[in-house]
Amino acid sequence: MNASELSDAQKSGIGQRIENWILGLAKKVTDPSYRKQFIWSFASIVLALLVSSLIMLIAGYDPGLAYVYLAIGAFSRMDLVLYYATPLILTGLSVALAFKCGLFNIGAEGQLYIGSMAAALMGYLIALPIVIHPLACLAIGAIAGGLWGFVPGLLKAYRGAHEVVTTMMLSYTAILLTGWLVSSNGPFWDGSMVPRTPPLLDTALLPPLWGYSLHTGLILSIIAVFAVDFLINRTVLGYEMRAVGLNPDAAEYGGINSKRNIAIAMGLSGGLSGLAGSEEIMGTYGKFVANWSPGLGWDGITVAVLGNNSPWGVLAAAIFFGGLRAGGNTMHQVVGVPIEMVSVIQGLVVLFVAAPRIINWLVDNGNTIFKSMKEDPFEPSINLVSSILGLAILMLGLGMITSLYSLPSFTWINAATALVYVLVAILGVMIFIVYWSKRPDAGWFMLLAAVLWTIAGVLEIIGAGMSALTSFILAIFTFVLWLADRLIGRLLVTKKEDDIE
Amino acid sequence: MSSQYAVEMINIHKTFPGGVYANQGVTLKVKRGEVHGLLGENGAGKTTLMNILYGLLNRDKGEIIINGEHVEFESPTDAISKGIGMVHQHFKLIPPLTVVENVVLGSEPIFGRTFGRGIIGKIMRALMPIDIKMAVEKIIQIAEENGLHIDPYAKVQDLSVGLQQRIEIIKTLYRKADILILDEPTSVLTPQEVDELFETLKEFRKAGKTIILITHKLRETMALCDRITVLRDGKLIGTVERDNTSPEDLAQMMVGRPVVFMVDKGISSPGDVVLKVQDLHVKDYRGLESVKGISFEVKAGEIFGVAGVEGNGQTELVEAITGLRKPTDGVIIIDEVDVTSKSPRFVREVGMSHIPEDRQKMGLILAFTIKENLILGRHYRPPFANGPKNMLLNLDRINEISDDLVSKFSIKTSSSDAFAETLSGGNQQKVVVARELAVAPKLIVAAQPTRGLDVGATEFIRNTLIKMRNAGSAILLVSAELDEVRNLSDRIGVIYDGKIVAIRGPDATPEELGLLMAGHVQGVD
Ligand SMILES: Nc1ncnc2c1ncn2[C@@H]1O[C@H](COP(=O)(O)OP(=O)(O)OP(=O)(O)O)[C@@H](O)[C@H]1O
Ligand SMILES: [Mg+2]
Repeated sequence: MNASELSDAQKSGIGQRIENWILGLAKKVTDPSYRKQFIWSFASIVLALLVSSLIMLIAGYDPGLAYVYLAIGAFSRMDLVLYYATPLILTGLSVALAFKCGLFNIGAEGQLYIGSMAAALMGYLIALPIVIHPLACLAIGAIAGGLWGFVPGLLKAYRGAHEVVTTMMLSYTAILLTGWLVSSNGPFWDGSMVPRTPPLLDTALLPPLWGYSLHTGLILSIIAVFAVDFLINRTVLGYEMRAVGLNPDAAEYGGINSKRNIAIAMGLSGGLSGLAGSEEIMGTYGKFVANWSPGLGWDGITVAVLGNNSPWGVLAAAIFFGGLRAGGNTMHQVVGVPIEMVSVIQGLVVLFVAAPRIINWLVDNGNTIFKSMKEDPFEPSINLVSSILGLAILMLGLGMITSLYSLPSFTWINAATALVYVLVAILGVMIFIVYWSKRPDAGWFMLLAAVLWTIAGVLEIIGAGMSALTSFILAIFTFVLWLADRLIGRLLVTKKEDDIE
Repeated sequence: MSSQYAVEMINIHKTFPGGVYANQGVTLKVKRGEVHGLLGENGAGKTTLMNILYGLLNRDKGEIIINGEHVEFESPTDAISKGIGMVHQHFKLIPPLTVVENVVLGSEPIFGRTFGRGIIGKIMRALMPIDIKMAVEKIIQIAEENGLHIDPYAKVQDLSVGLQQRIEIIKTLYRKADILILDEPTSVLTPQEVDELFETLKEFRKAGKTIILITHKLRETMALCDRITVLRDGKLIGTVERDNTSPEDLAQMMVGRPVVFMVDKGISSPGDVVLKVQDLHVKDYRGLESVKGISFEVKAGEIFGVAGVEGNGQTELVEAITGLRKPTDGVIIIDEVDVTSKSPRFVREVGMSHIPEDRQKMGLILAFTIKENLILGRHYRPPFANGPKNMLLNLDRINEISDDLVSKFSIKTSSSDAFAETLSGGNQQKVVVARELAVAPKLIVAAQPTRGLDVGATEFIRNTLIKMRNAGSAILLVSAELDEVRNLSDRIGVIYDGKIVAIRGPDATPEELGLLMAGHVQGVD
């Protein structure tokens, strides 16, 4: 499609507009970068299923059978699939919207709780006519959740407090606060054995849509997808938020007030999570119950990751996870695979989807190791593995010391071993620093670590410690890394020299 | 080793995802021991071709022969092992490390020669830690042999761009490169640094090394290159001997039409004062005062050039005027409005446009489309925004205006919906310039406006600036290129150590300006 065709088409009419929109969508879908994204997401799902089947095999289940029933369960109960997807769409959108502005909203769960609490109060304390009542509940829920997101937004914008920390903290605050409000000491307790509010008035409930559990919240969630897509791509605010997220310097240069945008983005993000909570209370639970959410806010993060932070991607990802849930029930009942397997699959999918993106992000923002990895993977990989090993050594060293203290008899030989571990731990820090900054003399540290681990292993045997084997394995591992770094790296260089001379 | 050619790239094809056909059957033959110029308009495919040679990109089709031997490069490591070194436009150094540490990463160990060249020697050398002392000696030796003086123990982060480039060159020599690729090495250098680099390259040629040089500056090409290959639109136009060509011919080959080198700007007729800067003091990001009391005025219909060696306060001066950095003292007035310490949007609203010196860091959002980049800064008001309170983006108008700008500034792209990061360096620059010059601003702050542009585009931008001057805009031009400042400016202010030390007319000689820029104020007056 070329530009002149498009501009002709732009000239007139609603029909033309729709046609344009479809053309635009078709172009987006056929765009190689989207296609690549799509293929990779799909591959991640397949990979996750493969790894999960391995786990199932080890645990003694038949993965083939399990997947068949997973699929049957999902396809025979589409209403259930959509029911599970309904809140995930909203929390996924919430996380995705914040991410568009370069923010990690880890606290969707808390915003969801606050929103659902507010909606529940509005639903049982105040009498309003039908239609108006649920709308009022949803609005108040969204506002409450929005405030819960807006505050960390303000803190980030004007005080520089990192949103990961603040939203996370506020999340726990929200869960505990709402739990207390409906506890036997709290003001909104219904007097029963369960910490919960009295039931919502009938006027406040969301009417069912189809099947046993699916409610009208689904329609709202889908409207939200359109709305967020419109906000991000068609409004000035969305443009500014994306600009701040992608290049804050350029945004400032372009006269965009990034503080204002950060605060608004977090507010809107919180609002979406609050809406998700309200919907669930009004459509499913009918009252606020302490700790009611099975982690819908946390799952929003995974939905956003799989959906690549695009509204339509979020919709698809939420439905996919909904399918896993719905099918998981059947799989559990028929084949006996524990329902947690669904979470395992979900986690693996996200891990595979995110891995290349994390590396890309680090390449753009981070250490030169990753940069040079793209250019020439060999040396930097050793550096990377080595520096990670450095951290692991530190942890293990410290762990070993404590394990020694817990031995029944603390002899001088154990004390000596502990000393070696202290050295090992210090060395771990050094190794990390040295390899991370790619210092050329890093190899010696690795060799020293190998020697120390060996000594520790010997001491453990003499002193009847418990971790001799671990020490020896680590000794071998560090030695191999040292060899890889020195020997192979150096042979390559000498080969180069020989070639040239 | 029979061939007289060090590098032969034969019939190279490369298409990027998205359909850009960047190299269409390009053949490049570089003789051993020559300096070979690679010329072409922005987006002609020069960087792409060199990235293929260095193993960074895969080709779709074609052969590569190095010193008579067919090669397949999987990665730059393979290219390095064949003696190829590349200095990218953006360096790949590690700032907190010293020069030696950057150079030796993965090289010569202690007792390097003690065990001989046999297998035992190899293994022993492989097991030894790196001999920094020996590396330093070797670097000093390389430095002395090639006139690349540098302190091996200096930290990279404390060195100027020119010296960092020198480290990159030393690094390639340390790895025994005898085929050197330099991608637009001069666009980031000051004139003195360019001269030094050229001396070095001449030494290399004497020593028998082969050099491939990408540049947009024809004067440099004529001064240094033995033979020159010209690309246009991904196709090979031809390879010529330096002695049989002229800058005019080369420009004609590149652009397909004759190019005028001297802009004829006519005399200016300055009007009212538009920009007034009074006793301005600004601190840099480290908190050190880097603008130390600058005052000057720019009138409507006038180009005021600021000449100076980089790092003498130009960056901070520009940032203060454009609202990106708060001055500690002083007043800035644009069109009778006090804009001191106001936000960038406020300053833009008064009628300022800004071409920033670093297009990738500040001027562009690389992950935005070209369209989205073309509205940055004016995105929130008509014609780009409409609806209630101008809250919506007017996509129709955005499409129209950006397609218009793309064709007017000949931005080379498959579509204005392509992402800015897929553009070649020069075309990225054009997007920034097009956006900032699209309206008729009262004041244009242009920092290095033609950095990385080809001759045709440079001519176009310079003419546009002059047209805007004649139409009554005030222009503050900051450029490291003395030629550009002298060609365009009606008055030239020389900045040294945070102060404007002299103001001269456009007829000032380069020698005089050079002395002033180096701080020799008394010597000239
Ligand atoms: N990653 C990419 N994806 C898509 N197109 C690309 C990509 N990189 C380069 N191109 C396109 O390939 C063409 C050649 O680009 P290249 O960078 O080789 O140009 P160049 O000759 O170096 O230009 P300049 O002088 O402006 O640096 C351009 O049209 C550019 O848009
Ligand atoms: Mg280039």
